[in-house]
Amino acid sequence: MAQPLVKKDDDRDDEAEYSPFLGIEKGAVLQEARVFNDPQLDPRRCSQVITKLLYLLNQGDSFTKVEATEVFFSVTKLFQSKDLGLRRMVYLIIKELSPSADEVIIVTSSLMKDMNSKTDMYRANAIRVLCRITDGTLLTQIERYLKQAIVDKNPVVASAALVSGIHLLQTNPEIVKRWSNEVQEAVQSRAALVQFHALALLQQIRQNDRLAVSKLVTSLTRGTVRSPLAQCLLIRYTSQVIRESPNTHTGDRPFYDFLESCLRHKAEMVIFEAARAITELSGVTSRELTPAITVLQLFLSSSKPVLRFAAVRTLNKVAMTHPMAVTNCNIDMESLISDQNRSIATLAITTLLKTGNESSVDRLMKQITNFMSDIADEFKIVVVEAIRSLCLKFPLKYRSLMNFLSNILREEGGFEYKKAIVDSIVILIRDIPEAKESGLLHLCEFIEDCEFTYLSTQILHFLGIEGPKTTDPSKYIRYIYNRVHLENATVRAAAVSTLAKFGAMVDALKPRVFVLLRRCIFDSDDEVRDRATLYLNTLGGDGEVVETNKDAKTFLFGALDIPLVNLETSLKNYEPSEAPFDIDSVPKEVKSQPLAEKKAPGKKPTGLGAPAAGPPSTVDAYERLLSSIPEFSDFGKLFKSSAPVELTEAETEYAVNVVKHIFDRHVVFQYNCTNTIPEQLLENVSVIVDASEADDFTEVASKPLRSLPYDTPGQTFMAFEKPEGITAVGKFSNVLRFIVKEVDPTTGEVEEDGVEDEYQLEDLEVVAADYMMKVGVANFRNAWESMGDDFERVDEYGLGPRESLAEAVSAVINLLGMQPCEGTEVVATNSRSHTCLLSGVFLGNVRVLARLQFGIDGSRGVAMKLAVRSEDEAVSDAIHEIVSCG
Amino acid sequence: MGLWEAFLNWLRSLFFKQEMELSLIGLQNAGKTSLVNVVATGGYSEDMIPTVGFNMRKVTKGNVTIKLWDLGGQPRFRSMWERYCRAVSAIVYVVDAADYDNLSVSRSELHDLLSKPSLSGIPLLVLGNKIDKPGALSKEDFMEQMGLKSITDREVCCYMISCKNSTNIDTVIDWLVKHSKSKN
Repeated sequence: MAQPLVKKDDDRDDEAEYSPFLGIEKGAVLQEARVFNDPQLDPRRCSQVITKLLYLLNQGDSFTKVEATEVFFSVTKLFQSKDLGLRRMVYLIIKELSPSADEVIIVTSSLMKDMNSKTDMYRANAIRVLCRITDGTLLTQIERYLKQAIVDKNPVVASAALVSGIHLLQTNPEIVKRWSNEVQEAVQSRAALVQFHALALLQQIRQNDRLAVSKLVTSLTRGTVRSPLAQCLLIRYTSQVIRESPNTHTGDRPFYDFLESCLRHKAEMVIFEAARAITELSGVTSRELTPAITVLQLFLSSSKPVLRFAAVRTLNKVAMTHPMAVTNCNIDMESLISDQNRSIATLAITTLLKTGNESSVDRLMKQITNFMSDIADEFKIVVVEAIRSLCLKFPLKYRSLMNFLSNILREEGGFEYKKAIVDSIVILIRDIPEAKESGLLHLCEFIEDCEFTYLSTQILHFLGIEGPKTTDPSKYIRYIYNRVHLENATVRAAAVSTLAKFGAMVDALKPRVFVLLRRCIFDSDDEVRDRATLYLNTLGGDGEVVETNKDAKTFLFGALDIPLVNLETSLKNYEPSEAPFDIDSVPKEVKSQPLAEKKAPGKKPTGLGAPAAGPPSTVDAYERLLSSIPEFSDFGKLFKSSAPVELTEAETEYAVNVVKHIFDRHVVFQYNCTNTIPEQLLENVSVIVDASEADDFTEVASKPLRSLPYDTPGQTFMAFEKPEGITAVGKFSNVLRFIVKEVDPTTGEVEEDGVEDEYQLEDLEVVAADYMMKVGVANFRNAWESMGDDFERVDEYGLGPRESLAEAVSAVINLLGMQPCEGTEVVATNSRSHTCLLSGVFLGNVRVLARLQFGIDGSRGVAMKLAVRSEDEAVSDAIHEIVSCG
Repeated sequence: MGLWEAFLNWLRSLFFKQEMELSLIGLQNAGKTSLVNVVATGGYSEDMIPTVGFNMRKVTKGNVTIKLWDLGGQPRFRSMWERYCRAVSAIVYVVDAADYDNLSVSRSELHDLLSKPSLSGIPLLVLGNKIDKPGALSKEDFMEQMGLKSITDREVCCYMISCKNSTNIDTVIDWLVKHSKSKN
């Protein structure tokens, strides 16, 4: 045992001899840097010291401001030396030190001299440094030199200028865009690297102009791009153009021929790039895939590991969407399982798992087990995910797969890896009923020795839900109670909650759970004691075998349907008083990004920092604002406030947006107005609303704004009455009416006489979605089941021809204004059908759940089946009403 | 200079080679870079661009190699002058003697610089440039306005020169060469 240890130390000593920089210290090196100030410079010595400084910087050492400044100025003294090697190091260290702008300017003149020197090495490097340190004004001075450099006949100089252009494009796009002609010339260069850099810069210059990029690609794919690197870039840009071009389903895909011809290029990197581009085309057909798969298959048996890796990784991705296309390569991949390189082997096996059939599962599992300990966590996660999808595909094989998962769960591994395994087991338990008991026991064993608090609490929570439903719940109690003895406070608290759930669900266990919970009252942690006390009270009884009442169950198992952010705000606002905190007072609306916030950048530069939206933005604040206005005080409780809708274009004289407040029987429009003309004061500001296209609404009150000075937002209100219970919709046209008075902006004096004036605003609509609050549920299936089908309404609708399935889905979501659950708003590309789960709260605080099933046919016609469940029959009908009208 | 004498000079320079380092400072447009050109090549150009940062020049006069740090005179560089004046053989301060408006600024910048402890004892050469211009100050007035009399802690010398007409440039070079010897 001792011998190998000694050997290890020897190894380390050997390594120390290799690196001359090992163990150098910043302080000492900074001392050494004084040689830069010597009257007689020793270029060799100076180069060494700079190397050490660069080494320190790259090892993550940082210099203080003073140190960096000191080093920088002594480095500038080295410009006196004509030694080529030293000058190169000087360039490097200046870039690396990146001193502050007011200091670095000192080297400008020297760099400009070098940029025009006769030595190409000076020119190229000086360009790179100068562009790194330059600012806009200096850039205009050196611009003409840079333009010359781009078309310089020395490729090193040209590349330096082009790469600098790419960097400068971020900070000074206007200037770099003027170099288009030179860059275009450089694209034709015979030097490979120049062509590569020029193409990259040219594309970036045009990147915001889709048409220009498309033109660039069109012309270059016809011409000859010599450099393989540039060709790879061109392939990427081509894929981008293909992605962005509208899908024409008749005829061939544009540029496919080009990609296909690249498969016959002589450079391997181009072949690979083209093959990958083809596999990533959206909606790729198997006919299009075939040539790409063929070249990737050839790469699989290449002698170069990097090619094998690249090919198998790409095939692995293809296997997720087109497993059949990859089956041809199975034989080649089988041989890669024993590849020297473990990453290649892992990818090969997981690909095979995706493409293989049921009979090969056991064999593959055995092979994976052999090398599982040799690969990195990152690849282990890939394997775990492959196993999970395999298990869902072949449920009959769950036993061997579950065994595999539990085995690797016991082995060493990082958090991400363990989490992937636990997630997989949880999914298997949920989806394969037979796997539940064994899966739960595996998880129980895992938490006996689990170092991750997060995973322990997750598993305990999961046990609390699933455990009581098993045939023999009592066997889990021991595992759970062990946690109360052995773990940290967070896990102990989670264990207490889980125990309580067993007590609530399994009446027979209740007395024993009570005994355990009573012991928890003596825990050293507040949270654990609080929870134990709370549950003992909630469960009621004195621990006899009695049925737990329904309230306690909903308390224990019900999902918290309030966004945590809102709960936090409400709790912060709550002032301790006699009245207890009412959880119903917490707004349930998921706060969406206010419109104004998104628009804010680039909006009127005039303001004195006045917010574009009205000052109150949260529902809370709106409610306070509205209840302070006597006209609206009897409208009852505010149900929902919309995000602000802009009624004016940006940069107009008056900026107006509107917030729609929905009450049970009223709607209030809050117009947030801002006057952007310094020479004007507006008085008696009101909005004249024409509701002739909104039959159900009758105007009941209006609250004009007395005065609206420059750049101080103010609000005017209009209130309408609407029939209760009906989702009244309609269109309102608005005119801003006011008296305008001239103001002398210098003195602030207001003229006496005003003129009445009007300003046309955009129309405003009240739509069905305004009556719906976006409220998500954590587990849709649970919520759906517990809602029951008493008021379920199902119907089918034809949505007509649509651009795509995704477009149809998002249109319906927007129409209903409900919260998509479990990520179902995302439609997989290419799928022909999709199920979307929505949840919300309708006017009158009625919970609504909707399940939408979409299908699309060959002629792009979309059909939808809508199932709605809610707590109120009328509301279920109303949802269908909305859809059939929309 | 005869061929023989040139050869002797060269021979002498082999044996008595000396180096000196100078910092050339002063407000912008005082004529620092022009002075370097005149000293190095004898050429003069009306059309100069402001120095952004510094120019480093090496000039050989006789057996003396002079390293010249010609620094930019714009306000943003003035705080950095001191760094390039440390440990030089002499500081050369150039002033536009025909620009009355900036004389007081030039004077205070000079005195600020000299008050730095790191520069104590370094000989100072103040040059009143552009005496070819009508209205340029006389040497006495110039010394008075620059407050040179008050500097007592180092050797101070003042010449009135014209880079354009090469007036007194030889005197300046002689002074410099002399000081290279005094050092070391």
